Amino acid sequence: MDSANSSGELHPIEKLLLKRLSAVDSVISIERLVDLTGLGVDQVRRGIEWLKFKNLVSLKEESVSVIRLGNKGRIAIEKGLPERRLVNAIRTSNGQRMLLSAILQKKDNVLFDEPKESSAAFENALRNKWVEQETLPSGEKALVLMPSAGSLSTQEKMLQKLNLEESIDVGKLSSEENEAYNILKRRPDYLIEKKHKTTEIMISQHAKEQILHDISSNTFTNHNNNLEQRVHLTQEIISSGAWKKIKLRPIDVQAPVPSLHIGRKNPLIDLIDEIKETFVGLGFMEIEGSLVQSSFWNFDALFTPQDHPSREMQDTFYVSGIKQKNFATAEQVQRVSEIHKEVWDDNWDAEEAQRTVMRTHTTPVTIKYLAEKNPEDSRIFSIGRVFRNEKLSYKHLAEFTQVEGVATGQNVTLRGLMGLQTEFYSKLGIKKVKFWPTFFPYTEPSLQSMVYNDRLEKWVELFGMGIIRPEIVKTLKLKNPVLAWGGGVERIAMLRFKLNDVRDLYSNKLSWLRGVPKCQL
Amino acid sequence: MPVVNLETSRIQRLFPKKKVNEILDILPFIGVDIEGVDDGTIRIEYNPNRPDFSSDYGILRSLRGIMEIEVGIPKFKLSQKSQYIVNVDPMVDQVRPYIVALVAKNGMLDDLMIKQLIGMQEDLHNGIGRRRKKASIGIHNLDLINFPVSYSIVEKDDFSFIPIDRTSSNTIRQILDESESGKKYGHIINHGNKYPLIIDTKENVISFPPIINGLLTKIDKETSNLFVEVTANSQRIANDTLAIVAITLHDMGFELQTVSIRYNGDSDKNLITPKMDPRLIDIEIDYINKTIGLDLDANKIIKCLEKARFQAWAKEDNEKIICCMVPRYRIDVVNPIDLVEEVLIGYGIYNLTPALVPTTLVGQQNSLSLYLNVIRQTLIGMGLLEIVNFDLISRKIQNMAILTTESDNNDDYNRNNILTVEETKSIEHEILRPSLIPSLLYCLSHNVHEEYPQKLFEIGKVFQPNNSHGINEYWCTGVALAHNGANFTAIKAAVQTLLGTSFGKVISTKPFTNSAFINGRCGVILLDDKPIGMMGEISPVVIENFRIRMPVSCFEINFSKILDL
Repeated sequence: MDSANSSGELHPIEKLLLKRLSAVDSVISIERLVDLTGLGVDQVRRGIEWLKFKNLVSLKEESVSVIRLGNKGRIAIEKGLPERRLVNAIRTSNGQRMLLSAILQKKDNVLFDEPKESSAAFENALRNKWVEQETLPSGEKALVLMPSAGSLSTQEKMLQKLNLEESIDVGKLSSEENEAYNILKRRPDYLIEKKHKTTEIMISQHAKEQILHDISSNTFTNHNNNLEQRVHLTQEIISSGAWKKIKLRPIDVQAPVPSLHIGRKNPLIDLIDEIKETFVGLGFMEIEGSLVQSSFWNFDALFTPQDHPSREMQDTFYVSGIKQKNFATAEQVQRVSEIHKEVWDDNWDAEEAQRTVMRTHTTPVTIKYLAEKNPEDSRIFSIGRVFRNEKLSYKHLAEFTQVEGVATGQNVTLRGLMGLQTEFYSKLGIKKVKFWPTFFPYTEPSLQSMVYNDRLEKWVELFGMGIIRPEIVKTLKLKNPVLAWGGGVERIAMLRFKLNDVRDLYSNKLSWLRGVPKCQL
Repeated sequence: MPVVNLETSRIQRLFPKKKVNEILDILPFIGVDIEGVDDGTIRIEYNPNRPDFSSDYGILRSLRGIMEIEVGIPKFKLSQKSQYIVNVDPMVDQVRPYIVALVAKNGMLDDLMIKQLIGMQEDLHNGIGRRRKKASIGIHNLDLINFPVSYSIVEKDDFSFIPIDRTSSNTIRQILDESESGKKYGHIINHGNKYPLIIDTKENVISFPPIINGLLTKIDKETSNLFVEVTANSQRIANDTLAIVAITLHDMGFELQTVSIRYNGDSDKNLITPKMDPRLIDIEIDYINKTIGLDLDANKIIKCLEKARFQAWAKEDNEKIICCMVPRYRIDVVNPIDLVEEVLIGYGIYNLTPALVPTTLVGQQNSLSLYLNVIRQTLIGMGLLEIVNFDLISRKIQNMAILTTESDNNDDYNRNNILTVEETKSIEHEILRPSLIPSLLYCLSHNVHEEYPQKLFEIGKVFQPNNSHGINEYWCTGVALAHNGANFTAIKAAVQTLLGTSFGKVISTKPFTNSAFINGRCGVILLDDKPIGMMGEISPVVIENFRIRMPVSCFEINFSKILDL
């Protein structure tokens, strides 16, 4: 008698379902079980699955077709089917018979909504044996009314039934109704038919017998085993030794469990830290500086003329009402103003230089550091926010993270710069790189690097680089040539996190922040 | 960045043996970006330091060099006839002192060429012309001008002429006040009732620089002779601009002639323009090799420069030095370092291999990074999620957090002390945030449909004006807890644990008022009796403002004050 049950123990949901099922004589639907047990649909479904697996219930899945009145069906309820209208027309005209020609020519537009209906009317009227065709002595054809025209056709009865009951299960039709259904469904738009599946459940015989005995005694157990069932192991059960006498009920190991929301680093910060580590690995030392700079260090000293388009309100955030003071030595200021005159024939404006800007790049920080420390040989880097007064879009931010590396020494060359860049990318997992010429105000020569992204299948612009112009190096009295390279971190982040909109990095959607994997295997 | 259009049909005509795709592959190596290709036109984005790329003739000139179809300095013929004269009235000195001009004869213009000319003119106006302030160009039909032409000042703003975009006369005042160019560029000459005009002997207005040309001399497809003038506030920029126009018109097939610029009463200033003499720059071979990291000999360098459309030769008396002849239109090549880049272009960047240079330098993160990471680790250990926000935020968010009221005596958050940026393009970025709390609350307000508890932190910068009219930037940590148990105890426990676990420091608290927090449930955080931040339960008014439906408690600590950074 144990064959029904290999696992032995039943979940309370299973027990409840079996109890209800045993009280029912025949099959029962899931919806009905939900009502009877007060459980949720998902719980009932799951419980039935388990029971099925244990052969305690059997399932029958059925497809049910349900029909309702279609548009034409409704019209037919009001005005009558075309064949009925035809019969009525014959009655009103003559009472008994009507010439075919008369029917077609005279009543066409009144009798029938469409030309097709006239052939349908003839066909069905003939089928129903409401009319017969007759050839008159004159040779003309006529339709003659027959006695059965007075009674309802099966189709008319079907339509009326649908009108009353709204929807009917096709499987429950009588044979006569079925016949009408088959004809009606071929006529356009009279019926609407929808199929859906239902599941019907029935308790198996041996389960029924077993249950009645065991459940009522509240201990459905495995025959071979007389242990009591428990749900949780507790401190009490362990310390009292009771664990030796109880059995812990198995649980559904496949059931879903809640997600844990853990503390974690922001993915962008993760990437920034990885970049920092990469720089450190290449021998670079980190420096940090103000986000707020004087126009002098952000632009003038970096070989950007005062009326350069990028300076204007367009691309730069100027801070209102704050003037910078003592930002450079008199000598530095003098030299820079001379350069502006020499190169662009500009009369350098001291007031313009005093304006306060949100830095548009990290270069003022690195260059000031070099001017201050004046090392023979140095590799420094800085990562931080820079600001551009631009409209936000899927690829532009007004505020983003820039990383910049600067190297100075006797032996710095452009090829060496390319080498550093290639090595840097390689450590971040980017292997395909190419370079080509570009322009930055404070470097000459300047190069742009492009990296190949496999997912997008295209080359993407990343970091720019170049040799700091000798005019700047001279002004700051630096000992050796200076290489600089850098770019935005967010673009790498978009490639790494497979984002299409850069703003997603700052919109802080918790579902994204909580879900981004820390790394890819 | 400016854009120039290059028709693929032109490429096919000029480089019959090359496919368009090959050209597209080469273009980036002359230093331009391909913006897109549509319908037979390649849109090329170029950098403002190469104004000679403002017409496709410039692009093609460069391409021919790098593809070795035509190397060395481009051919240029200029007839020194100077039969056309411009008389300059000394009064212009006060308004727009400089004028240069050229004559271009016997050319044939079609729609495409006119489009290129207009495009070039606009790019030059905006680029080296600095929105016409420094220089502006007028291109006119020579045949309709009666020479000599005079460049002078008119003092009545009711002087009228028919401008190029109208059918009837307008006065100068009307043009300045009502026309598009007048409103845009009027400020350049609109001071002191002196309006520069270029007029011919029959009193026809050729141009009202830098605003607009006269209708009379408008050019079209029938025009075969041109008069081009450039007015400017710098002689050098005027010459540079004219040089670019000159080489372009030459490449278009015009025959160029000089013009005589005569200064009435000061013949020392007289000029013959355009001046197209090339520049000579000396450069050491060692300098080139050291900068790039190559070992090229003189011949190789000369070949590279020729591909870049220069002429070069080794100096007779010193074979370690190359003398390079730079065509006049390359206004960006002035110093030896500029030539290094040209050598690079001639050499081909694709031919350069990266070199790894070893170093004995040791890298490290700076102390700030290390300390902030300690803070970060501790907060993560408390189960908090890190978010990142912008430093520039909207006034609206700041106000919704009600941190800044005049009644509170918190210098840190005084409403009158908020730093703002000028003319922002986005209302999301209006002020320099004085606190992290509004951004934290804003994040909570955007996540009301996500699961609770929500426990967030940010490490970021805040900005406050200081007593010496400067700006202080501080590194701060802000935490926001949003859940049914987010009360004062929870937030104080967080503060205590943070300082304790990170630095072994013990904090103390005193009652504090700030309108963002519930009255009586806010405290100032003290370290060694120094205030370093505040914490508390956020006021339901603020919670409502942000439409968060959970209790929230926050703290903010200024770590710059603790770490002395």
